[in-house]
Amino acid sequence: MAIQYWRIRDRYYRLIGSRCGACGSEFFPPVYRCKKCGSEDIADREMPRTGKILTHTLLHEPLPGFEALAPFYLAVVKLDNGAKVLTQIVDSPPDAVKSGAKVRAVVRRAKVDGDSGQIFYGYKFVVE
Amino acid sequence: MSGQRAYVASVGMTPIGDHWGKSILDLAVDASRGALAGLGGKKVDQVIVGNMFSAVGASQEHLGALVTSALGLRGTPAFKVEAACASGGSAFNTGYRLVKSGAIGSALVVGVEKMRDLEPEEASRALAMAESAEYTQFVGATFAALNGLLARLYMEQENVTRDELSAMPVLDHANAVTAAHAQFRKAITPEVVSRSALISDPLRLFDCAPVGDGAAAALIVNDDALAGAKGGHVEILGGKIATTEFSVYEREDMLDFLATKEAFKGAMAEAGLAPGKLSLAEVHDAFSVVGALSLEAMGYSKRGQGSKDAKAGKYSMDGELPINTFGGLKARGHPVGATGMYQIAEAFLQLAGKAGKNQVEGAQYAATQNIGGVDSTSAVHVFGRAS
Ligand SMILES: [Zn+2]
Repeated sequence: MAIQYWRIRDRYYRLIGSRCGACGSEFFPPVYRCKKCGSEDIADREMPRTGKILTHTLLHEPLPGFEALAPFYLAVVKLDNGAKVLTQIVDSPPDAVKSGAKVRAVVRRAKVDGDSGQIFYGYKFVVE
Repeated sequence: MSGQRAYVASVGMTPIGDHWGKSILDLAVDASRGALAGLGGKKVDQVIVGNMFSAVGASQEHLGALVTSALGLRGTPAFKVEAACASGGSAFNTGYRLVKSGAIGSALVVGVEKMRDLEPEEASRALAMAESAEYTQFVGATFAALNGLLARLYMEQENVTRDELSAMPVLDHANAVTAAHAQFRKAITPEVVSRSALISDPLRLFDCAPVGDGAAAALIVNDDALAGAKGGHVEILGGKIATTEFSVYEREDMLDFLATKEAFKGAMAEAGLAPGKLSLAEVHDAFSVVGALSLEAMGYSKRGQGSKDAKAGKYSMDGELPINTFGGLKARGHPVGATGMYQIAEAFLQLAGKAGKNQVEGAQYAATQNIGGVDSTSAVHVFGRAS
């Protein structure tokens, strides 16, 4: 694991993204500058935990460290506040994973580090 | 634009594929020697190496001095330019700007990638480094997965069929049959694509560019340096790099390739060319859907029509605008950091009338479009036959 997980674990657990103080737009992943109005008045904001699938894919050949899960669903989820999240879809019947389906965030084991065996947790989504 | 005129005097390249017996430096030297042959023994002012992941792929960084040292170019300034899969086009743009502005008289640009020393999943991990470590790699998404998401959206929103999506790989393979440097020189049918293994549904193996080793180089010169060169040069008429929102899923409209749109517009404006003037284009179709969206961003196809137009023959060798005249990324191959330089070498061969069996007759103007990430970076160049 090349990145320092502890630095952003709250973002992974609680879906902490950004809110623009000027226009109220919300984003995930967090931003440095509002994509709508350009304001740099940006604060942390917990995202809503529900949304809809915008597009999805069933990945057969994942990155190293994710082989045990394969094949697994990935989706772009548009949250109720308009923010878009790239996420795994888990614990859902295959015919339920489709564009427009309503989904909800859960916390799951995200990754096991190959070298240290350390377990990382993070958001995934399930179809409601 | 002020400054001087800039030309490609000569190019060099290795075939793309499994170069088990060659190191990253061997490949870079092979391609560079081919390009330097056009300099007629004169000294080159600058060496620029385009490469994406030599540290991961070959345990090697510091490619600039490594290459000049091997070529006996002691004293020559050199460095590497990295912009993921757009490393080659970005390196070329750097050389072009230096010559065009009058800062230097000549530059050797070589794009190189050594991918096959890695296990396939390690190569996939190295490619994924072009995307966010914290939010894309962390969820296990590969590059194919991001493009699978894009392909599904494209097919559902724009009513694109499986066979329409397959048109681009079919076109690539048809053009590669007679291309000596291409990785896969075998024609395929749409059924070959639609029956190949699922990689990231709906994308299948034959929607995706392969992994391979390779290097391609070009010598950029001004009028003075050209005087000693051995003829057959091509003029660089325009070039632009543009960037946009990093991750495709963050964009308001995922199907709108804004970086390519801006880079193409800028390069064509600098060249002073109307879009209808191009004789051919080398398009960055790392995935079938990416080729289609690129042609839409460049304005040659209307929204949702890129794959449909390809299926109708618009982009075939005898079509309105021939593209990927040596096989594109799918069949010529995609040694990532070298790909942009292969495109430029191919445009050179076309405009210099040296494309052999792949020659577009009477080719006058050509464009190359080289993407990094899912159009996070796009480097476009426009070339003209020397008058
Ligand atoms: Zn705002």
